[in-house]
Amino acid sequence: MGRAMLTAAILAGVAVGIQRFIAPPWVPEWAPVAVFVGFAGLGVVLAVLRYRVWRFEVYDDSLYLERGVLTRVRTVVPFVRIQHVDTSRSPIERLVGLASTVVYTAGSRGADVSVPGLEAGDADDLRERLKRLAIRSESEDAV
Amino acid sequence: MPRSLSPLSVPYRVLQRGGGIAVAVVFAMSGGFDLPGVGPAGPLLLFAIAGVAALGLIGYETAYVRRFAYELGDDTLDIDSGVVSRRSREIPIRRIQNVDISRNVLQRLFGIAVVSFETAGGGDTEARLRFVSFEEAKRLQAALGRLKRANTESDDGERDTDDASDTDDASDTAGDTDPGATPAARPAGSTGGGFDTPPVTELFALDRTELALVGALSIDFRVPGVLFLLVSTVGSTVVPAYLLATSGVALAVGAAVVLVGVALLSWVVGAAAAIAQYYDFRLVRSGDELQYERGLLQRYDGSIPFDKIQTLTVSDNPLKRYFDYATLYIETAGYAPGGGGGSRGSEAAVPLAERDHVLDLIEELEPVGDVEFERPPKRARRRYLVRYLLVVGVLTGAAYAADAAVSLPFPPWLPAFLAPLAVWFAHATWKHRGHWLGDHHVVTRNGVLRRRTKVVPYYRIQTVIDARTVFQRRLGLATVTVDTAGSLSLGGQDAAAVDISGPRADGLRDELEARLDRAVDAYRAGRAGIGVDDDYDADAADATDAADATDAADATDAVDATDATSAEPESPAHGPDDPGGDDPPDDPSDVTG
Repeated sequence: MGRAMLTAAILAGVAVGIQRFIAPPWVPEWAPVAVFVGFAGLGVVLAVLRYRVWRFEVYDDSLYLERGVLTRVRTVVPFVRIQHVDTSRSPIERLVGLASTVVYTAGSRGADVSVPGLEAGDADDLRERLKRLAIRSESEDAV
Repeated sequence: MPRSLSPLSVPYRVLQRGGGIAVAVVFAMSGGFDLPGVGPAGPLLLFAIAGVAALGLIGYETAYVRRFAYELGDDTLDIDSGVVSRRSREIPIRRIQNVDISRNVLQRLFGIAVVSFETAGGGDTEARLRFVSFEEAKRLQAALGRLKRANTESDDGERDTDDASDTDDASDTAGDTDPGATPAARPAGSTGGGFDTPPVTELFALDRTELALVGALSIDFRVPGVLFLLVSTVGSTVVPAYLLATSGVALAVGAAVVLVGVALLSWVVGAAAAIAQYYDFRLVRSGDELQYERGLLQRYDGSIPFDKIQTLTVSDNPLKRYFDYATLYIETAGYAPGGGGGSRGSEAAVPLAERDHVLDLIEELEPVGDVEFERPPKRARRRYLVRYLLVVGVLTGAAYAADAAVSLPFPPWLPAFLAPLAVWFAHATWKHRGHWLGDHHVVTRNGVLRRRTKVVPYYRIQTVIDARTVFQRRLGLATVTVDTAGSLSLGGQDAAAVDISGPRADGLRDELEARLDRAVDAYRAGRAGIGVDDDYDADAADATDAADATDAADATDAVDATDATSAEPESPAHGPDDPGGDDPPDDPSDVTG
């Protein structure tokens, strides 16, 4: 959501810039506002949809994730294959008190698996839980 | 006992490092270079500086070689190196993916070689010995293979023979390990190194015709670029003047000649490079390892343990298919694609071979069995048809638009004639697409112009990704991608079952996960890699039946069946917090056709 707002603001800024410096005659004066409202609205809708689609489940021996609005992606990460688990908090995330847990595998899409938008404590819990599960099902040779 | 690099590597390293500097100095001298404030003594001073630099270089390289020590222990490879800042490393032997030896012409003259050890971590080569004698390199390669076998298969006693008592360096190292776990060591006459290797069987050798074919099919597309760069920098003053001076006809002829010349040159360069790269290509099996040799000027010599193979890829195109040829890539996790300079690392690949030969080879490496691809549902073909017809439509539209702006030399509706081609291509796309679940492998096939058949052992699966775009969801289709740690997979070339029906994808996802579980269990039960286990076989066969029965209609049944098989006491694939069968949460909109 925050990112959507930011994108909208940047695009509106670009629109303002275009109007200020290039000023093509066919651009009406309210264009930047329209751009902002349009993209912000779109972003909000997308963010809401994304949030509604987003889900993850910790099964007995795998982590299951589902995400994506236009392209729906479902990922299964067997615990045997987990290399390490991170919790990361970007500035925006810190601002609103959220955190993401990122799961790394040896696969070529290593960092593709992340669980965003968790409460900070929950993210740490999830990390610890995944770590325990990964250790429990540790295989001799993950690669 | 720690070993050190070959003493011959000092002069080679000096030559290598100093060569460039020497050329620069000579260049400066011949240009009548004058140092300010020194006057006529300038050249002498330069000589002095060069001399000191050379001495310094020799000193540094000597120190480097002397301070470089490595030791192959029982389960680690220890390397101490560095002159100014010291670095000492321990690489667990079991983590080493492959060992490569490379020698260029000069190195072969010196009798030295570079040994590279690849591990899965990071993009770079983990450790490199520059340089050791070739015999030592071969010894390391063989000893590593042996140690690894001793490490991974401690129950390998039946292969133990008594001729490990050969008085040789190699058996010294082997003697350090637990004697009961030391696998067979037989003197190998053919390699000439005098150390012990397991028996060697040749799997594949590139013969002359095939080499010639490889060369003929290789065009170096970089040549035109390089030529253009040369012309634009060097000849920038000459060319325009020349162009102005000549008449139109001569110009056209000249352009044609240049074009043909460039094409010919890139072909010749490509052919030469390919031949130099694959000259005398051999692939042999030595115990549990795959060894390859290739190269004319620079000789490569690598070993890949069987249990580090991630994926096998068979690649072909219509031309190769017509003549029954194919290319085989063997991926391990060790190599970084594009990281090893020109030739995509030194990953083992069979550049060109008869199809049957490639299939035999695959059977030898990974016993896949007969593959019967399951094609995507018919509605996927409709999707391709729409897609390619859209392309034709866009082309036609563009032609019309262009015609409106500048009159084209052909009627704007000409691209519409591509429509039959689009129809054929749609059918071909559908026809060549498929996936198959074997006892121990999942096999996928995609692409028409560049068809790739990928064989992934269940044990190598890292993650399973099921993606559905809006259009796919409209038709109830899905793409299931199997992610491995293989190096080629980075460019989005993972094995993927594209455009299979939604319920089938759900089944496949769970199925793959369950089979990975079982493969891991089988592996833990003491079988390296994709070991054969009767129970496991029966399980897998059942599961395959169930999976084969999967159709849009009875998908849930199949999933249930999967559940039943995976709910063996040994490997509870799905647990308590996953009640009522593991039907993944199915969005109803996903299934609507």
